[in-house]
Amino acid sequence: MHVLVIEDDAEMAGFIEKVLVEAGHTVDKADDGERGLEKARSEEFDAMVVDRMLPEKDGLTLLREFRDAGGTTPALFLSALGDVQNKVQGLKAGAEDYLAKPFAPAELAARVEALGRRQPGQEPPVTVLKAGDLEMSLLTRKVTRAGQKIDLQPREFRLLEYLMRHAGQVVTRTMLLEKVWDYNFDPQTNVIDVHVSRLRAKIDKEFDEPLLHTVRGAGYRLQG
Amino acid sequence: MKLALPSFLRTTTFKLALLYSAMFAAFSAALLVYLYYSTVYYIRVESDRRMDLEFEQLGNAYFIGGMERLSESVLERMTLNGSTFYYFLEDSTGTRLAGHFQRMPTHNPDLDVQTVYFDFDVPEPDGTTTVRPAAGRIVRLKDNGGALLVAFDTAQQTAIVGRIQRAIFIAAPIGLILSLLGGLLISRGAARRADELARTAEAVMGGELGRRVPLRGSGDEFDRLGQRMNAMLDQIEKLVESTRNTGNAIAHDLRSPLSRLRNRLEVALSEPMSKESAEATLSVTVEEVDRVLDTFNAILRLARLEAGAEGERVRMNVSDLAEQLAELFEPAFDEAELVFRSQITKNLMVLGDRDLIGQALSNLLDNAVKYTPAGGTISLTVARGPEGTVDLTVIDSGPGVPEEARARVVQRFQRMDSARTQPGSGLGLVLVVSVAEMHGGEFILADGSGPPEAPGLKATLRLPRA
Repeated sequence: MHVLVIEDDAEMAGFIEKVLVEAGHTVDKADDGERGLEKARSEEFDAMVVDRMLPEKDGLTLLREFRDAGGTTPALFLSALGDVQNKVQGLKAGAEDYLAKPFAPAELAARVEALGRRQPGQEPPVTVLKAGDLEMSLLTRKVTRAGQKIDLQPREFRLLEYLMRHAGQVVTRTMLLEKVWDYNFDPQTNVIDVHVSRLRAKIDKEFDEPLLHTVRGAGYRLQG
Repeated sequence: MKLALPSFLRTTTFKLALLYSAMFAAFSAALLVYLYYSTVYYIRVESDRRMDLEFEQLGNAYFIGGMERLSESVLERMTLNGSTFYYFLEDSTGTRLAGHFQRMPTHNPDLDVQTVYFDFDVPEPDGTTTVRPAAGRIVRLKDNGGALLVAFDTAQQTAIVGRIQRAIFIAAPIGLILSLLGGLLISRGAARRADELARTAEAVMGGELGRRVPLRGSGDEFDRLGQRMNAMLDQIEKLVESTRNTGNAIAHDLRSPLSRLRNRLEVALSEPMSKESAEATLSVTVEEVDRVLDTFNAILRLARLEAGAEGERVRMNVSDLAEQLAELFEPAFDEAELVFRSQITKNLMVLGDRDLIGQALSNLLDNAVKYTPAGGTISLTVARGPEGTVDLTVIDSGPGVPEEARARVVQRFQRMDSARTQPGSGLGLVLVVSVAEMHGGEFILADGSGPPEAPGLKATLRLPRA
């Protein structure tokens, strides 16, 4: 993907670039709000990472103006003000996702990856999700692996659905909490790990090749 | 040169006092003028009335018995005890018939009725004479050309009027001065009270946080303002104190992970390492830094929460939230070999912030998981509490918290020593308390239902029901 990074702190911008390049993306940088907006308007990007505090034009204003002018590039909002209120403001201004500093590189990579898939129009309405020999019907809510039926609890179903929609991508614990449980808080205990290992027991245990992998220090990846 | 006025002369109270004095002076002047004129008028009307009466009676005598009867009547009245009138009667030729005087004091023969003012001599017992003023009326007797004078001594009246005049001329300036002085005194008192407030504020600004506004105990508006200000200062002092403690606690809590970090890095620097062991060292280091950052984030969140900068309250179903959390935590309880029971009354509503209440309840469940040994029991109950509240209660079968330590565990970083080895920022219960406070609820710690050696902990977040 071609990613625009709008961040005024050179070190932070360099760090983000490094993380994204390592994840296989190409990166273009802008170091203030005005230039960032100009770039976002004049070139095609698959995703953009916008810092909240920017010289010339702050991230919220930039994003609002960009969206008002019809820009559709999905955006990840970055901020040192990591609380829910700011998150809501960022999402209202037109960001698709929000990440508070400090963040783990894997978290950033995973979220930018997830953003790329969100391009409107690129996602045809699907009724069946597939990952390897794992199949999920969204209509009948049936899950099979290699033709063998797997019984899932409603929450396990939603967890697997999210993982399948992001098959091949790294998905972090925080992302799962936010998207599957809709929680913007940190339950501290390793609750997500326990849920994932239960799911894993159902979809992987009786099969030779595991599909659901733990990515150390980052989260999980469902093999595509 | 600009005149430097004393501070109280510039105050609003003084201006008001000045205005008040001016108004007081104007009103007093009007009152005194009214008093003066009404008294003078009354005196004149009264003497006119008595004069009329006198003439009526003497006229009757004249009508009945002519000049002779009149003359007798005059003589009679002259000898009457207590009479305040003076008389003089003369015939048409100007000859004295009766009366106090030797001759008519002043007379214009062309007028039938004439008001006269004159002085007359009064012989005193010691042989001297005094001159007294008099006012009177002369009436010409139409049929025979004689004239009758009835007069009275005006010295007394003049004295009364004079006294009133003197009273006015003395009282007015005294009143004016007194009202001005009163105004000054009042405004100075008010200015002094205001100065006390200002001085206290200045002292506090100067860092003297313990300074308070002196109160008079009179319950007046300055006292009430002072009380409010003192209450505000108490609150500020408490907050500053807690910030100071937090600062110390942060320093204390962060020093050990940071020094561990430093040691590890130092060792890594000094020793030649294989790629694997370098990686292992670095990943442990990253975890350590993450914990430090987590603690910082928890502190920041708490600070924002306490400053009222976070949280959006909406009507929400707290039963649903609890059910979801129970579902989220259940596998973790299983994993830790704990028996979990939940009893959740449906559809209890509160006015609150879902994320904050969720976080608070998570913290309670998280604590329960951490402190309950395997094989223990944890229960989550959501039920109606007393007086229109909802009780979110988590009971564990762990060691519990002794009563004397309960106040301490809800303070920042005040973990029980036995808990220091557990991961966590030591801010979990503090956040629960803050969440309870911002929702107008309370947080209650009690013993669970276990045996005395391990009673367990019963933690209740009580929120007002919506």
